[in-house]
Amino acid sequence: MNQAEVIAKLQTIFDNLFLEPVVLTPAISAKDVPEWDSLTHISLMVAVEKSFGVRFRVGEVENTKNIGEFADLILKRQLEP
Amino acid sequence: MDFSELKTLLLNGDPRFWEHLLALTRQAAAFDELLFLSSLRKKAHARKMSPPVAAPIKTRLALVGGYSLYPLHELLEHFCEIQSTPIELWLGDYDNYISEVMDDDSELYAFKPQVVFMLPAERRCVYTGKLTDPRELVQAEAQRTVDSLLELARKVNEKTGAEITTTNFMLPARHDLGAFRSRTLGSDWAFRQWVNLELGLAAPAYLHICDWAFIANRLGGLAARDERAWFESKQPCSSALLVELAREVAHLILSFKRAPKKVLVLDLDNTLWGGVVADDGLEGIELGDTSPRGEAFKAFQKYIASLKQRGVLLAVCSKNDFAKAAEPFEKHPDMVLKMEDIVSFKANWEPKSENIRAMAPELNLGLDSFVFVDDNPAEIEIVRQFVPAVTTILLGPDPSEYVGQLADSRLFEPRNITAEDAERTSQYRSDAQRKALESSVTDMGAYLESLQMEAGISEFTPVDVPRLSQLINKSNQFNLTTRRRSEAEVTAVMHDPNFIGYSVRLKDRFGDHGLISIVIGEKAGDTMKIDTWLMSCRVLKRGVEEIVLNELVRLAKWKNCQSLLGTYLPTPKNEMVRDFYGKMGFTLTNESEEKKEFELRLKIFQPIPAKIKIVRHAYESS
Repeated sequence: MNQAEVIAKLQTIFDNLFLEPVVLTPAISAKDVPEWDSLTHISLMVAVEKSFGVRFRVGEVENTKNIGEFADLILKRQLEP
Repeated sequence: MDFSELKTLLLNGDPRFWEHLLALTRQAAAFDELLFLSSLRKKAHARKMSPPVAAPIKTRLALVGGYSLYPLHELLEHFCEIQSTPIELWLGDYDNYISEVMDDDSELYAFKPQVVFMLPAERRCVYTGKLTDPRELVQAEAQRTVDSLLELARKVNEKTGAEITTTNFMLPARHDLGAFRSRTLGSDWAFRQWVNLELGLAAPAYLHICDWAFIANRLGGLAARDERAWFESKQPCSSALLVELAREVAHLILSFKRAPKKVLVLDLDNTLWGGVVADDGLEGIELGDTSPRGEAFKAFQKYIASLKQRGVLLAVCSKNDFAKAAEPFEKHPDMVLKMEDIVSFKANWEPKSENIRAMAPELNLGLDSFVFVDDNPAEIEIVRQFVPAVTTILLGPDPSEYVGQLADSRLFEPRNITAEDAERTSQYRSDAQRKALESSVTDMGAYLESLQMEAGISEFTPVDVPRLSQLINKSNQFNLTTRRRSEAEVTAVMHDPNFIGYSVRLKDRFGDHGLISIVIGEKAGDTMKIDTWLMSCRVLKRGVEEIVLNELVRLAKWKNCQSLLGTYLPTPKNEMVRDFYGKMGFTLTNESEEKKEFELRLKIFQPIPAKIKIVRHAYESS
């Protein structure tokens, strides 16, 4: 999997979760999407961990600045056994 | 209906959105699914889509505690709205509950809450001294923890008169101290259990306990915690437990508003026993210790009997011929429930909905206090449709799960403390004094007396045949001859006038032991040969041996015999009864490798006293 493929998969999760369509790009972040509040964020993280089969380490998600960095983090955690 | 279809309903402003939201919420267990459903619900409100039924007035609920209460509040709000007890929330700040409660001018009190829910911080429920400190020291610290919580609750009650609920404390799930954790009160494990117990026992009537320790235990200790969620956002527990916690609080709020159910209406065939009594007959139904299924049905009956003891009224509603349906209640030895336990017994061919409807005026209770239990989906459906006020429980396919299903229905949970309970207290007290007396008993005779044992001695009966045969075939230790017999052979003995056969059932104040001893005697001239004498080892040395012998002598005399002939046939397992006949006053007459024979002259025999009340004898109509 590469970053683009991860973002494509993230897109389907976002499509499920958000009422108004959001088009994901590597540069997009929570502040660009009005519906992306802290509650939606929690659902989103649970859904991502579930569907990618990853577990993020403490504090690392909030260090990602946008969807691109978040996708990279998913890739990094996916490589772990 | 799935989530995307629900979303479409919302986008189209379709009013069917609400019913499907309800259904999906009932099915959903996962945290993220529930949060998603909750966010859809809020978006529907924001779009001014109103639910079909006007919402009841919202209860003002304040949530305070030593944790981030977000997103717990979201789940709580969702569950409460879905169960038609909507809430208006006020959220305390993270770990600010003590000052929110103690400050007379806090926003908490300005909110005028009707319900206050408090989650005290578990990190304050620890013993900070040494593990080896004397117990009194640790106990005093635990008591202070309890007292400070009770003080917070007292303050809230004084200021608001609200219903107050506090969580107790989750127990640790890591090995940490090893087995030592339960050898000291200073470990978190022991300390929190002590605090939880003391808190529950000391809580005044206005304080409810949300039993977090129990909920976490039910889910599983490791699954209940999530350290990452604590460090990242001060969550009290794992998201899975957060869901359960929110459900529990919603359940408590509902229980403030809704009276518990009062009547349990029971189906019979495949509910109270296995099989169909009208087809299989009294002897053919599965009930009691002869089969695993029979045991499961009996256990279900015992659970139902315990509900009756709590004050639940029991009723029967069965599609049956009345006499057939009543027969097990009157004649089956393993029926726990008896006719007198049932306040209304409807066994006929009318629809069950009509039968249940007729019970309401009979018992002078509303239909909404009825719960109907059946294994047949069609019967459940007819009741659901025609008397919707009645709550129904469709039993699953496995009777071993019936008890769990009924217990988890949460329909018969007792209220906190009622005036009635308070009145009963003095009665309990004298009970407790009596029990303390009994537990101090040291001599055996007084102990046996305190057991209040009752024995029923019965000749072999057709309905007992499976039990007799089973015990005859599995009993090894207290078994003088170890002669095995099939059901047909037991039946043959029963009908042969040269044989006597009887069994003993024993119960005491702790419960019913069931059928525990069997004797078969064969008359040969003026001698009664003891073909079989066996007993369950559970009741050894309680006097059963003695009453069995008394009965044997009585029956031998009745059959005009002069003596008893007892035989011991050794096996690898029945060593314990090698000298049994000798101890009972028989004389050894013959001894070899293969057997020992003993004789008892009836003329010289005196009945042996025992601390067992005999409620019936064999071959005497009871």
